[in-house]
Amino acid sequence: MNTITFTIERFDPETDPAPHTETYTVDINEGARVLDTLHAVREQCDPSLTYRYCCGSGQCGSCTVQVNGEPVLACMHEACDGMAVAPLNLPVERDLKVEMKSYLQDLTGITPGIFTGYLTVEANEAIRPIRDCIECLACVSECPAVAVTAFAGPTAMRQEMRIALDPRDDRDRASLTVDEGLFTCTTCQRCLEVCPKHIEIPGKAIEKLREIAHREGLTLPKHQTVADMVRATGRGVDRIMPTVLEQVPEVIEPVGKVRGEVGFFVGCMYNGRLPDTALKMLAVLRRNGIRVIIPPEQVCCGSPLIRTGQTEFIRELKRINIGCFTKRGIETVLTMCAGCGSTLKNDYDTPYRVIDINELMTEYGIEPPVSSSIPMTYHDPCHLRRGQGVTEEPRAILRMLTDDFREMPARCCGAGGGVRSGMAEVAADLGRDRREAIAETGAAAIVTSCPFCEFHIGEHSAVPVINITTLLFESYEKRDEESGEDSGWKDLPCREEE
Amino acid sequence: MVNIMPGDHVTDCHVLVIGSGGAGCRAALEASQYGETVLLSRTLTGKGGCTVMAEGGYNAVLAEEDSTGLHFEDTMRGGAYLNDPELADILVTESPDRFRDLTAWGSVFDVEEDCVPAQRPFGGQRFNRTCYAGDRSGHEMIATLTEQIRNTGIRQMQETSAIDLLMDGRRVAGAVTLDGDGTLGVITADATILATGGGTRCYDISTNCAAGTGDGFALGYRAGATLIDMEMVQFHPTGAVYPPDSRGRLITEAVRGEGGVLKNSLGERFMERYDTERMELSTRDVVSRSIATEILEGRGSEHGGVYLDVTHLPAAEIERRLPIMLEQFLQFGVDIRIQPMEVAPTAHHLMGGLKINPDAATTLPGLYACGEVAGGIHGANRLGGNALADTQVFGKRAGEAAGKAPAITLQVDIDEVLATEAARCDAYCRGTTPPHEITRELKHAMWDNAGIFRTKAGLKEVEATVSRLQNLVPKAADRRMLNECCTVTNMLTVARLIIHGALLREESRGAHVRQDITQDWTPADSPFGHTVQSLFGTAIEERRGAA
Repeated sequence: MNTITFTIERFDPETDPAPHTETYTVDINEGARVLDTLHAVREQCDPSLTYRYCCGSGQCGSCTVQVNGEPVLACMHEACDGMAVAPLNLPVERDLKVEMKSYLQDLTGITPGIFTGYLTVEANEAIRPIRDCIECLACVSECPAVAVTAFAGPTAMRQEMRIALDPRDDRDRASLTVDEGLFTCTTCQRCLEVCPKHIEIPGKAIEKLREIAHREGLTLPKHQTVADMVRATGRGVDRIMPTVLEQVPEVIEPVGKVRGEVGFFVGCMYNGRLPDTALKMLAVLRRNGIRVIIPPEQVCCGSPLIRTGQTEFIRELKRINIGCFTKRGIETVLTMCAGCGSTLKNDYDTPYRVIDINELMTEYGIEPPVSSSIPMTYHDPCHLRRGQGVTEEPRAILRMLTDDFREMPARCCGAGGGVRSGMAEVAADLGRDRREAIAETGAAAIVTSCPFCEFHIGEHSAVPVINITTLLFESYEKRDEESGEDSGWKDLPCREEE
Repeated sequence: MVNIMPGDHVTDCHVLVIGSGGAGCRAALEASQYGETVLLSRTLTGKGGCTVMAEGGYNAVLAEEDSTGLHFEDTMRGGAYLNDPELADILVTESPDRFRDLTAWGSVFDVEEDCVPAQRPFGGQRFNRTCYAGDRSGHEMIATLTEQIRNTGIRQMQETSAIDLLMDGRRVAGAVTLDGDGTLGVITADATILATGGGTRCYDISTNCAAGTGDGFALGYRAGATLIDMEMVQFHPTGAVYPPDSRGRLITEAVRGEGGVLKNSLGERFMERYDTERMELSTRDVVSRSIATEILEGRGSEHGGVYLDVTHLPAAEIERRLPIMLEQFLQFGVDIRIQPMEVAPTAHHLMGGLKINPDAATTLPGLYACGEVAGGIHGANRLGGNALADTQVFGKRAGEAAGKAPAITLQVDIDEVLATEAARCDAYCRGTTPPHEITRELKHAMWDNAGIFRTKAGLKEVEATVSRLQNLVPKAADRRMLNECCTVTNMLTVARLIIHGALLREESRGAHVRQDITQDWTPADSPFGHTVQSLFGTAIEERRGAA
């Protein structure tokens, strides 16, 4: 027997004006799950505690609750001392029990339901990966788009795709899913992160439904414009200022000893919209002994097209982007754009290793920056945190930059998945949510590592948004100013005119 | 203290289906073709019951080389010839069609090659006839059935329990309900289907979900229906043993179907001593007794089980065919790709239940039963893979027969019924003992004395315990606990039925082993037929022409 103390968020709509937190101490067996501790509370403390459960083996999806802010199946998640148990972010019926019936009722099924034979291996394999859903609604409860707009939600989209893949169904459902908010999903992958069955809803349902919608001419005009531009220019943004690729030579040698060598995949946003941020990052690497090779013929990674279902010329983009690095014998390719990094890592099959700037700096180690005491918070770019699993590296660097680092909940800012361009009002609502979260931390600056987040949060936040490498750049600059030394690390060589 | 739903406390329909597992969902889909159908569920639709957590598969004769005759023989032999042959024949004959229904409605069972369902070997069967969707076969079925239900006009009443059948004289005319807030209601129906599933939660170690409390057996019994073979409790050979709160959690037979081997602490593949021919894929009764014997004789594992090992299989095969097992064990710190599982028998399935005819009609007019709450199909031991098939075959039959039932004019005083039930609930509110204290004692007593090995003395002991517990009044500290009090009362009834059946059956047969009895007959020539229990008496049938 072990004794644990933990909290449960209680709420009885009949008597309580608002939810409140209660602390319980109970005796439990070794290895007890969260559900076992809830049973223990009912038996040992308060028989009125209300929660839903049934199978006890992770299969019925009844018992999902939040533990320390993350949705988990109570019957499978191990209980621990000090945990905070709360209901999902769905309308609460009582205590930990939330309203699920109306959502489940609206999930679609096969019609007409006539036996025409068994599935082919191909159809079976296609449907299988999105068929394991236990309808626990963890994804719906955490979806940022569901929170701000009329979006049917991740698992409804998963179910639509499962039907769309099924030769037994005779309906065309793509247009319907557009009405259900198909284009409001930011592909933030929070649904995948919280799914107890690890179903890849963004990649295997949302983006595939968008492909179908695209084939049926339902692509949003703004998304179409981006695709047209990539097709015509190789870039997802138009040229309004000198780009990175126009300014830098193919090889930038570091000052001092060469500690490493990477190819640099610039990405459209840093290349054409935020070139100064990219140049500062290159200077930081130059100071830290990394040789950077920048093939000038690289093009858009294709992320804005894949995320919006416009995949017909992705192969050509991949061919160029793979070829330009491999022909130079580059073994590691650096990205500083979270979206490009996630795309190269997950949507490409690259013969080279892809590494995010935060991973690179962690792997090689960097000259410790001058620390400040400015309160700072960090916004996790979705395509870095969930797309690439990079969370600790930027935090570790940030802790070198400030002794007042403040966490805030990792939520999508609204810029991804083509939502910023195609569904501006949804993106704006999510941006405003971020503004509030940032304000709550009391931070004087918000640091991030993604051009879309930088741009979008910048429009909505009251405090400045700074790229993590820019912060390093400024810190090194300050050190040089104080010491009066200058190795010339900031003076990037210019591209030679041909 | 007890609320009665004001004004509209009565819901009327043509067919009332109680229970939303595989059988209930299938019955409701069928019945809804004939008239307004209510699907009543104490959980969310589909999430209760054991179908959603069933892992291994669905037996259906699909291959040309297989035959329903062979399936019938396997089922009868596995059931120690206690099965009602007519029901068993219906099961094997109609199971393929019901599998095709599921396919038509969108189920995604694994395929071997294009348009050919994959089928795996299961215990006690001479042909690979268990269709599967990885090791989440029941989940696949429930997903399919609930999707269809959402497409129909079936009225779902969720998170509401049936606490008694509504009687119009001897006829069943619906049910009295209690919702999560403790509010009573009445559903009147021309025909009522019990599809409430099994009841092995009255054992300390059980695979069943929280809803596996056997309420349907108790409701039927109280209403006067006849139940048969209630002593026939299947102990699944492989339940989890660790950590303590997870004891009993089902480790699917598919693990052995895919090649898993059982070993004791000496590393011996001990099934060689018990069933050389079928080894790990012997019938469940045999494997359970073998494991229990190994443990009792001191060759058990660290946590009191034996080892079930798949580490000789390629990791990719385990990941594909047993993903749920892999994931569940990983949650508990065991990687089954490189480490053996520890397993021990766990109470799994009640073969007995309400006596039904081929139309799934019980002995009470207006009442039908399908799925685990019905008895007779599986005899003294059920084959793995036959339960999911049973839910569909008899679910459809019950739905069809109930749907075709004529409309009735009710002659029952609803207010009086509600007043009686309210009085019962008030008694719970004034009760003496927390429900969990009653169930805890019941579960241990049942496990100790009405488990795999039974004796008359042990059965008498547990009978006395149950009698004592039945004299306690479970206490509802809050009106939202009234359901739990009703459930505890039902569990005690089910336990008593199991014990009585076990005392009546003075032989060892299938899953029922009486260590205090020596017999000189084999199951095939047993002098006994069904045990029969109802409010009006108990007996064991004598078989004509037997030894």
